[in-house]
Amino acid sequence: MALWLHEKNNAELDMRTKLDFSVRDVSSRIEQRMAVYEQVLRGAQGLFATSLKVQRKDFSAYISSLQLGADYAGMDGVGLACLIDSTEVAKYVQQEQRQGLIDFHIWPEGVRKQYAPVSQLEPAVGSNLIVVGLDMLADPVHRLAMERARDAGVMSISSKIRLPTESNSGIRSGFLMYLPVYKSPGQNNTSNIVDKADTLEARRANITGWVFAPFRMTDLMASLYGENLPATDIKIYDGVETNDASLIYDSARPSQVDAVLRRHSAQPGRSRFTRQLQATEYVVNGGSSWTIVMSTLPGFEEHVDKDKSVMIIVAGVLLSIVFALLTWQLATGRERALTLAREMTRELRESEARFRYLAQYDELSGLPNRAMFKDRLQQAIVQARRDKTRLALMYLDLDKFKPINDQLGHHVGDLLLQAAALKMLSCVRESDTVARIGGDEFLILLPLIEQDQDALFVAEKIRDAISQPFHLAGGHVLHVSCSIGIATYPEHGEGEMDLSRHADNAMYQAKDCGRDQIKFFGTV
Amino acid sequence: MLPLIRLFLISIIPFLLPALSRATELPDCSRPLTLALHEHGLLYSAQTGAGIDKDFSDELIRRSGCKVTVSILPRARIWQLIESGALDFSLSGIANEERDKFAGFAWYFSNKYYLLLRKDSKVRQLNDFEKNSTLQLGAIRSFRYSNNVNNMIDKLNAEHRVTYASGLDPLYQILIANRIQGMIIEPFDYSQVENTAVRELTLIIDTNDPAIPHGLIMSKKSLSSKEQEKWRALVEGMRLDGTVEAIFKKYLKPDLAKTMVNF
Repeated sequence: MALWLHEKNNAELDMRTKLDFSVRDVSSRIEQRMAVYEQVLRGAQGLFATSLKVQRKDFSAYISSLQLGADYAGMDGVGLACLIDSTEVAKYVQQEQRQGLIDFHIWPEGVRKQYAPVSQLEPAVGSNLIVVGLDMLADPVHRLAMERARDAGVMSISSKIRLPTESNSGIRSGFLMYLPVYKSPGQNNTSNIVDKADTLEARRANITGWVFAPFRMTDLMASLYGENLPATDIKIYDGVETNDASLIYDSARPSQVDAVLRRHSAQPGRSRFTRQLQATEYVVNGGSSWTIVMSTLPGFEEHVDKDKSVMIIVAGVLLSIVFALLTWQLATGRERALTLAREMTRELRESEARFRYLAQYDELSGLPNRAMFKDRLQQAIVQARRDKTRLALMYLDLDKFKPINDQLGHHVGDLLLQAAALKMLSCVRESDTVARIGGDEFLILLPLIEQDQDALFVAEKIRDAISQPFHLAGGHVLHVSCSIGIATYPEHGEGEMDLSRHADNAMYQAKDCGRDQIKFFGTV
Repeated sequence: MLPLIRLFLISIIPFLLPALSRATELPDCSRPLTLALHEHGLLYSAQTGAGIDKDFSDELIRRSGCKVTVSILPRARIWQLIESGALDFSLSGIANEERDKFAGFAWYFSNKYYLLLRKDSKVRQLNDFEKNSTLQLGAIRSFRYSNNVNNMIDKLNAEHRVTYASGLDPLYQILIANRIQGMIIEPFDYSQVENTAVRELTLIIDTNDPAIPHGLIMSKKSLSSKEQEKWRALVEGMRLDGTVEAIFKKYLKPDLAKTMVNF
């Protein structure tokens, strides 16, 4: 959301920056265009400055030779207005009539101190002919600009006017551009304004007329080089007041703007930037100020293609959902994974423990199995060898166990084995080991004995315990016996293999001697 | 004895001549040169066709003996043309790092910049203007000022709080209309302030920047360093013989004129 707000703000700033840049660009293009027009007018100014008397046809030929075609659109023509004292009016009118304008007269009527009638406006065709004889000084708007041009000796631009040449083609706003023409004593030094009329007084004294050009604002704006920003409206006001009276140009007619607004309001989702952005710049040209206002129209943001805020809010929402799912997945998944891992670890540990147990113990009896017994025997032999002590190894086999298993079932046999194991354990010391190595065969290790009697004593104790009736679960009372063979270290073998083999042999000897007996190896 | 002295003087003339000619070496006038003025208060007014810069350029051109075409252009256009080499000179320019790359300067006055404020803006120092986001500043397009002012304008510009114009007149008018609440002015704008409705509405505050030298702007692209030196020497000559001070005194109060040209 913060990113969206940030980006929305950025998009607006971005559009505003583009608009600012564009209004500056338009202002600059207008200024440059005006400089070009001024230069054309300077040509005409120069023509009069080089010759005391320019004939009507010469001026016409000069303007014609400039070939002001479409590239100078907006410039309606180039004209000359001479300054006439009231005392010279009659003479001037006659002079103009002699040059071919039989109907020439100064208008509007009235007695004024000075007159500046339009002598000619070239090309002298169509509406340009209508203004001939118009006393421009009689109009305050013209007069202000003409006096400014005269006093400063530079180009001057009038305020907004309704062009007099457009009476038959609708009313269009425009302005006039003036350059002063002074009496030039040298006649051949024209390019520097400083040379011509050095002081304000000299300029006022030496003014002989003005060259001027009327401009239609719409055509002038159309002739600007470069492209304007799409979906914008450019309004130009004369002065700094922005009202209908001062409006001299509007790139989009109100009806067009309304159409655009209607079109956009009809399209859903197009009203994001109903707030219109506006940029204003003031251009000072020829002593006049223009206010250039550029406003955005609906659809501007699409052309600028910088409104990432909508994209961001959509992408943001989608991403939020995706992230939420992902987070939920991760959070719960992690929990699930942890549970699973804990379970697996537990199982693994149990499994490991079980394997470790099964690797070392007999599952049925809970006694050490052959592997563990072997390990303990080896350790005991090493110990006995080092301590030069003796140990005893016994092999025990239950007598007639198989018939019990077969007749009463394995589960009873198993119970018997478990009970027998317990009895054996009860007959030995803690340091002794009783192991089950399979079926009804057991091993007993006495790691330290002083003499054979010690081993015989334990064996006897076990044989006696086994021969006592077994009261098993399920009401079974069983009577079994066992045969035990004993081998001692170091007498009957110094290695595990020898001792085991010899004890096993002794056990078989006991069996062979009628069971329920104890035999020492080699005592037969 | 006298003939001896005469003989001595005659004999040293050949040695003195080159030195003299070097000191008064004039610029190369083999081609027509161009100079642009811009409308700005007492520097140049298109209403009267007169001003400090107009007088200064007239005298400079006269001393150079060159043919110089003078035109009136917007300031932004002037800097563009100076950079491209299409324009040789302009006046009252101040330097900065960027401009130093394409323009040489010959200083002839120095002044401080001030903030002209509407009294009802309640701003009494530069920082307060920045802080109040409702205030708009008016400025001339492409004008650069002293450090504190430049910093403020750059900051306000980023906030779209600067209204630009190519001349001062519309800025005074929109200041009266309260569409901007402040603008930067220089001492040669005082007369416009004092003689119009602006005076009653406004006050002037210091920007706390030092005075900035202003000078003849010379396009590095169209004028070699050697030529620039010659023009610099002409300007320096106008300063030393009091011509510059006299021009300033014609338009400004004597004390202010003296402060501006003696820096």
